[in-house]
Amino acid sequence: MKITLHIWRQKNASAKGFIETHKLDEVSEDMSFLEMLDVLNEKLIMENKEPIAFDHDCREGICGACSLTINGMPHGPEAATTTCQLHMRKFKDGDEIYVEPFRAKAFPVIKDLVVDRTAFDRIQQRGGFVDVRTGQAQDANAIPIPKFNADLAMDAAACIGCGACVAACPNGAAMLFVAAKVNQFALLPQGQPERKKRVLAMVDQMDKEGFGACTNHYECEAACPKAISAKFISKMNREYLGASLFDHKH
Amino acid sequence: MILDSKIPSGPIQDKWDKHRFEMKLVNPANKRKYKILVVGTGLAGASAAATMSELGYKVEAFTFHDSPRRAHSIAAQGGVNAAKNYPNDGDSIWRLFYDTVKGGDFRSREANVYRLAQVANNIIDQCVAQGVPFAREYGGLLANRSFGGAQVSRTFYARGQTGQQLLLGAYSALSKEIGKGGVIMHNRKEMMDVVIIDGKARGIVTRDLITGKIESHWGDAVCLATGGYGNVFFLSTNAQTCNVTAAYRAYKKGAGFANPCYTQIHPTCIPVSGDHQSKLTLMSESLRNDGRIWVPKKKGDKRPPNQIPENERDYYLERKYPSFGNLSPRDISSRSAKEACDDGRGVAATGYGVYLDFADAIKRLGKAAIEERYGNLFEMYERITGDDPYTTPMMIYPASHYTMGGLWVDYNLMSTIPGLHVLGEANFSDHGANRLGASALMQGLADGYFVIPYTIGNYLASNTFDKIDTSHPEFKKAEEETHNKINTLLGIKGKKTPTAFHKELGKVMWEYVGMARNEAGLKKAIELIPQIREEFWKNVNVTGESADLNIALEKACRVADFLEFAEVMAWDALERDESCGAHFREEHQYPDGEAKRNDEKFTHVGVWEYQGVGNKPVRHQEDLNFENVKLAVRSYK
Amino acid sequence: MGVLSFLKSTILSKVVMALTGLILVLFIVGHTIGNLQIFLGAEVFNTYAAFLQGLGELLWAIRGGLLIALILHVYTSIRLKLLNSGAKPQAYQVKRYIKSSFGGRTMIWTGLMIFAFLVYHILHFTVGSVQPEHFHYVENFGPNGMFERHDVFKMVILGFRDPLVSGFYVLGVVLLGFHLSHAVQSMFQTLGFNNPKYFGTIEKASGIFGVAIALALISIPVSIFLGFGGNL
Ligand SMILES: Cc1cc2nc3c(=O)[nH]c(=O)nc-3n(C[C@H](O)[C@H](O)[C@H](O)COP(=O)(O)OP(=O)(O)OC[C@H]3O[C@@H](n4cnc5c(N)ncnc54)[C@H](O)[C@@H]3O)c2cc1C
Ligand code: HEM
Ligand code: HEM
Ligand code: SF4
Ligand code: F3S
Ligand code: FES
Repeated sequence: MKITLHIWRQKNASAKGFIETHKLDEVSEDMSFLEMLDVLNEKLIMENKEPIAFDHDCREGICGACSLTINGMPHGPEAATTTCQLHMRKFKDGDEIYVEPFRAKAFPVIKDLVVDRTAFDRIQQRGGFVDVRTGQAQDANAIPIPKFNADLAMDAAACIGCGACVAACPNGAAMLFVAAKVNQFALLPQGQPERKKRVLAMVDQMDKEGFGACTNHYECEAACPKAISAKFISKMNREYLGASLFDHKH
Repeated sequence: MILDSKIPSGPIQDKWDKHRFEMKLVNPANKRKYKILVVGTGLAGASAAATMSELGYKVEAFTFHDSPRRAHSIAAQGGVNAAKNYPNDGDSIWRLFYDTVKGGDFRSREANVYRLAQVANNIIDQCVAQGVPFAREYGGLLANRSFGGAQVSRTFYARGQTGQQLLLGAYSALSKEIGKGGVIMHNRKEMMDVVIIDGKARGIVTRDLITGKIESHWGDAVCLATGGYGNVFFLSTNAQTCNVTAAYRAYKKGAGFANPCYTQIHPTCIPVSGDHQSKLTLMSESLRNDGRIWVPKKKGDKRPPNQIPENERDYYLERKYPSFGNLSPRDISSRSAKEACDDGRGVAATGYGVYLDFADAIKRLGKAAIEERYGNLFEMYERITGDDPYTTPMMIYPASHYTMGGLWVDYNLMSTIPGLHVLGEANFSDHGANRLGASALMQGLADGYFVIPYTIGNYLASNTFDKIDTSHPEFKKAEEETHNKINTLLGIKGKKTPTAFHKELGKVMWEYVGMARNEAGLKKAIELIPQIREEFWKNVNVTGESADLNIALEKACRVADFLEFAEVMAWDALERDESCGAHFREEHQYPDGEAKRNDEKFTHVGVWEYQGVGNKPVRHQEDLNFENVKLAVRSYK
Repeated sequence: MGVLSFLKSTILSKVVMALTGLILVLFIVGHTIGNLQIFLGAEVFNTYAAFLQGLGELLWAIRGGLLIALILHVYTSIRLKLLNSGAKPQAYQVKRYIKSSFGGRTMIWTGLMIFAFLVYHILHFTVGSVQPEHFHYVENFGPNGMFERHDVFKMVILGFRDPLVSGFYVLGVVLLGFHLSHAVQSMFQTLGFNNPKYFGTIEKASGIFGVAIALALISIPVSIFLGFGGNL
């Protein structure tokens, strides 16, 4: 099929970006969206032009490297699917497709479609862990965990850290990502000792990184390739409120 | 090249404890005087960096990903093994040890494998303590499943995302240490070379993937945890950026490369759909429990599957291996699929695919039962191929999946270069000639959490280190070489893209150094690879500049190393004139197609020493002695 | 910001929005019920109005509380709005929304307009400076009309006979409806009451609530405009 691509190009963080249009004539519907971009990039190199930079790695929907806002939807039109798992059969012959980077103040563009998502790492470093040293662990079965909690924790832990929630949120808020981590640990016995400290620290870092505030638009939940529910945001609000009211250090 | 495995004396079950007692310790106060560079933040790298930082060492970690959490370990699906024996089905450290040695077709080091089986249990404890949400039973205790043909249920899992959860566990430990300032993390920095001073590994040279800046970093020891080289076949189940560069650079600096020909081909992957294909997606092996594998009897039969009557179908695995049928081990079912397709009876657009048919299972158990078991896999399959496996048979084909070969290391995980330690899939590992399912995650974490933290101390305590910094001429030299390499690549301005060369190499490797190998084919590969390499250096087109994020340049650098490494692989496959595990030489097989080992001549590790580009490297041997298990023939009749 | 320093936290700011919002919602509910008594005639309605006036200090206390809530609500919403537009400096060339509602995305605007309406409204019926001519009426009541009280009934009826005035009220109330339809479920989500078991219901209820309040209040100017109380 024939596809017209309107793609964001930007030399580097400081340069001014613009939309560049490319036409592809022989797009197979079996291609993944990224394979379609591969084809375009091969073409560009042959024309001695610079290929379009975009993040990707596993191409199995699990590493969270791929991004792209496709026709105004982070990870494209297919629900609960990463860009790398989106296939061209979801598009029609003659379609015009806009491809832009994930946009948010906290995700500055590095080049073309590549953005800097290290803010997520810094949030994690403030409390996204259980402070246990290697070798200290007791037997894995020493503390039974109700299956329901374990499964719910897994629902939250499924987050791949892609940042689509931020890109989709009209406020550029990172609530869904942070809520996923906070809830995973809040649901497990191992997470209890640092429960209050953790939510306060991670949200504090989230605010410092320049993400917006949540005004409950639920776009994040709709864009999330792992379908992480916004109920976790609600739960985190409660966690945070509880912690800020009853944490002694505050 | 001296290959001293440094295996401690004494009975196998006491070796590790004894060794830990005999190792020198670094006085706590002195630990922070030592700086350790860790390259790679997958399971092995992240766990090692975090643990060594906890111990008090200064650690700097490097990854070319934008975050440590993206390492390829994230993609592991099935699970991780440990001999906890929670299901009470008779598992034990000894059994896990034995299964792993046998699975590796008796080509791995007993002492290492035993240690692996010993520490496996601590891994599960450690991960649970970190908040890894493993699957649980209603009683609240951990659930197990049997995996990779094991007769006991010893595999721990977190849905189909075990690797992700284990890596996020290690990543959280790493994040904790970064937050405390114990680890300095370098994202988007690719190691281009290792630097050796006075015979010891003392640092690395990296390229900043955003600014293109070439930088030097010094340390008192270097740990490589840079993963496998499965992408030498171009198409594999590995992530796009997996590459051999780090390991190969070390090899060029004198580290021995062990068993490069041991590469695992996974039978159940989604077939190639066209020339645009960039990777192959793994479909869980569990599908073979209910799916029947077949191809048409007639060559070039292009009818849609459901129009091919029963009597014109060849259920070749059931025919050839009546007892194991569709559940025959990875290497056997992979090879049979290849034979059928080479015979012109393959299906799929390219003719390189076989059917995995659930029609009978659905008739027998009902759609609901199948959906219950494989629902998510069927969904993923439909998302990628557009076909509905409930109504039309799946198509599968084998793909490169894992590499057992890697840099040679002794019992302390140190390579032949003093101070250069190698962890995880990057070392030649404990899997011998074939890896069992759910054992790579185990090995990566064992190396990182429970082995290197001890052995590195022993190395640091028993050596003296002169004060150096990155102004040392050796660093300048390495930076210089890297600069030159990059400038040459940018200067060629040829007619082919780096990817085109990678594809070309992949075709050759898959054809002649793939699933089934023979002398003629391997010699052909050894003749073809240098030709592609020469053309590469004359005719590759790398656009853009060096001082910039340049994906074409990144790719070119990696392909350049694959083009040299591939030859070593072919040499190894040629010289190992036997079949063992995943290394199958058509000349050596039993009538039933099972690999025929030659224990007299080849019960050893083949270790290669670099002799300059294009020159045949020198092959050394580390003999393997089996004192605890008896060498036997793997039979699946 | 001293005492208000907790407003630095985005989540606590949200909680402030929710709690102040809750107060305002409760007021609106009460106010709507109160206002609907107009259909029961002058007697009842004026008694109610007089009752409110009679509250004395308590009335001022309530007014004070409402005022603080309103100011916090408005102040915080503006702060959040500025923060949020700052967090998305560059807009997408093409943007498609999947789940968010128009009402949700326009909260700040509906809010600000409600605020404007409110000022007008208070000047109109509480201060009496919008239509002074209707404000001075008094009604005699009690045994042979020995007492007199502010004739709120008449004020409202006469006031709403002016199409411009009624129109403006209808507009203000419609905006409030929009605001509330997002606001109420938002409140629950913000305060941590989101359980998949019942949240769907809350979301629906939120919409219905917004419409209900709007319709109830609109009914007053509309029916007056259509002749209710024409016998005055
Ligand atoms: C699809 C798939 C499924 C699998 N499923 C299972 C399973 O179910 N069970 C199991 O046990 N095993 C499984 N495996 C195997 C297992 O996942 C890997 O062997 C293991 O995760 C390797 O971990 P690692 O830490 O050694 O390397 P990796 O996780 O590959 O990490 C490599 C790291 O090194 C970095 N790096 C590499 N080169 C450089 C360089 N030059 N400069 C800087 N950084 C560099 C990378 O950025 C990365 O951080 C699977 C593998 C695949 C492909
Ligand atoms: C058709 C719709 C409305 C009618 C008929 C109406 C009627 C009135 C009347 C008669 C009063 C004066 C009461 C008195 O002085 O005793 C009043 C006061 C008030 N109204 Fe409304 N109102 C309407 C809508 C609204 C709305 C939408 C709001 C809020 C957004 C609102 C907020 C107020 C407030 C804050 C006061 C002042 C109360 C006080 O302190 O005295 N009203 N309203
Ligand atoms: C009587 C009038 C009002 C009522 C009953 C009301 C009620 C509410 C409620 C309940 C919420 C939900 C809070 C939350 O999201 O948790 C809300 C949100 C909001 N209100 Fe109001 N409000 C009123 C007036 C105003 C005014 C005057 C403004 C002025 C700007 C305003 C601006 C907002 C904004 C922007 C939000 C969305 C913020 C968010 O959802 O976090 N509101 N309102
Ligand atoms: S919550 Fe969903 S969208 Fe946000 S980072 Fe995690 S996976 Fe991506
Ligand atoms: S879209 Fe944004 S506003 Fe909240 S609910 Fe999701 S973070
Ligand atoms: S490339 Fe890994 S999630 Fe898309």
